Amino acid sequence: MTNRREAWLFLFPGLALLVLGFILPIMRMLVLSVMGPDGVTFEHFARFFQDGYYPSILWRTVRLSLVITALTAAIGFPLAYITSRVGPQARLWLIVMVILPLMTSVVVRTFGWMVLLGRSGPLATMLREMGLVGRSFSLMHTESAIILGMVQVLLPFMVLSLLGVLTRLDPRLEEAARTMGCSFLQTIRRVVLPLSMPGVVAGSLLVFTLSASSFITPSLLGGARIEVLAGSIYKSVTQTLDWNFAAAQSVILFFGLALVLIPYLRLGARHG
Amino acid sequence: MVKAIPTWLRWLAWGFVILSALLLLAPLVVVIGVSVSESQFIVFPPQGFSLDWYRKALGSREYVEAFWLSLRLAGLVTVSATVIGGAAAIALSRRKNRQSLESFFLSPLVIPSIIFAIGMLMLWSSMFGTTSFVALWIAHTVVALPYVIRTTLAVLAESDPFLEEAARTMGASWLRRLWHVVLPQCRPGLAAGAFFAFNISFDEAVLSLFLRNPGLNTLPVQIYGQLEFSPDPTVAAVSTMMIVLTVALIVLLDRLLGLNRVANT
Repeated sequence: MTNRREAWLFLFPGLALLVLGFILPIMRMLVLSVMGPDGVTFEHFARFFQDGYYPSILWRTVRLSLVITALTAAIGFPLAYITSRVGPQARLWLIVMVILPLMTSVVVRTFGWMVLLGRSGPLATMLREMGLVGRSFSLMHTESAIILGMVQVLLPFMVLSLLGVLTRLDPRLEEAARTMGCSFLQTIRRVVLPLSMPGVVAGSLLVFTLSASSFITPSLLGGARIEVLAGSIYKSVTQTLDWNFAAAQSVILFFGLALVLIPYLRLGARHG
Repeated sequence: MVKAIPTWLRWLAWGFVILSALLLLAPLVVVIGVSVSESQFIVFPPQGFSLDWYRKALGSREYVEAFWLSLRLAGLVTVSATVIGGAAAIALSRRKNRQSLESFFLSPLVIPSIIFAIGMLMLWSSMFGTTSFVALWIAHTVVALPYVIRTTLAVLAESDPFLEEAARTMGASWLRRLWHVVLPQCRPGLAAGAFFAFNISFDEAVLSLFLRNPGLNTLPVQIYGQLEFSPDPTVAAVSTMMIVLTVALIVLLDRLLGLNRVANT
């Protein structure tokens, strides 16, 4: 067998799977979003922007995703830096601490947050005993609950993106900065942070995309009143059975993400 | 010599690590706590100790059926994603000009799974009617594929391409080269990819929720359904068993391949 034939034989199953099982479904979704009873229409998109309801859901999705991305970056950077600089034994434990939640189903982790944040959960009990909040206090069904849960769900992605960059960073650069008189914090700010920008960008990109498109954690922790875009899509598919409208909302999510990601990617390309 | 890190900062760093551990692990600890509580209600800290909820979970037809469905699905996805993804990675690693093809193969990582899920549901319904096990199998294989490709490519990037060349000049047929040279080279990558494929499929909830029907509920979907309506400690018992399975997978992954290496791919 020639090299060429072997190469195509090896690539073919994967290509066929992705074209038929991935590209085609997405095309179908795109088509349905502009399909009406009599041919091509943009009524589903018009309906989305008709009154303030859906745009407010879109805005909440963007706002929450930005907060979640910023928080995961703020927690993830020091955590990844510490992980990359401790001894091998401690590093292994820190990696386990990050990978264990990552590899546990989102449903299970969200359940954990429901217990933690509920009315009789440990957080509410503690705050009540300290006399800070009233009897019926509960963090459930608030935007804070969504943010807390999503930060925990997405933090591992950020840490792993940063860890890849930080472990490859030459420690001699930091030593050089220190011997030239930089304090530890100055070294972080002047040397480590700029050099790890590609990891920060890649991690933020991933976290923002995942947070804007997830509905399991937001709908379980936020309840029916605090809706996000992905939750609204799920509702249109399973409850109101309006698939064309669901497709139109997915297209808005898709292009909205592209709009955010493209300038971000440019930024990453400049730093990388 | 400069002093490495100021002492106060060292303490601060440890405090930070402990807080992060709390944030990352508290939801899991709480679930395990609820599952061994005697109380009828979901309370933490647990009251008393009992394994009744496990007995109840193992006796529940819904959970047991969902478990077998998830296990069968994850097993098949592991095989299909590893074979298809491994083959693609081998072919990709040999190409000189592979950037665009590689991005195409990794694209399921970038496109949010809810968008893929809704498309899959719509295409499947228009072509075959109600969703089936095969629909879930295809969908899960698509999302697991990039992980296998990435881990295998990472391993092949460090391996010696001239080994295969040597086998070829000595007259080995392509099948023998594949079996005796190429596959042993990719083995760690394929193994890590297979672990991820199994884990992704077993835990996946978005695609499974969109493609579910009354006879097709995977374990995460079953748990989600309970959480939406009336969570009782049985859910905690089932969730704990899922956590235990994850721990077992991680230990296995570390024993066979080393976590440090896997985390860097």
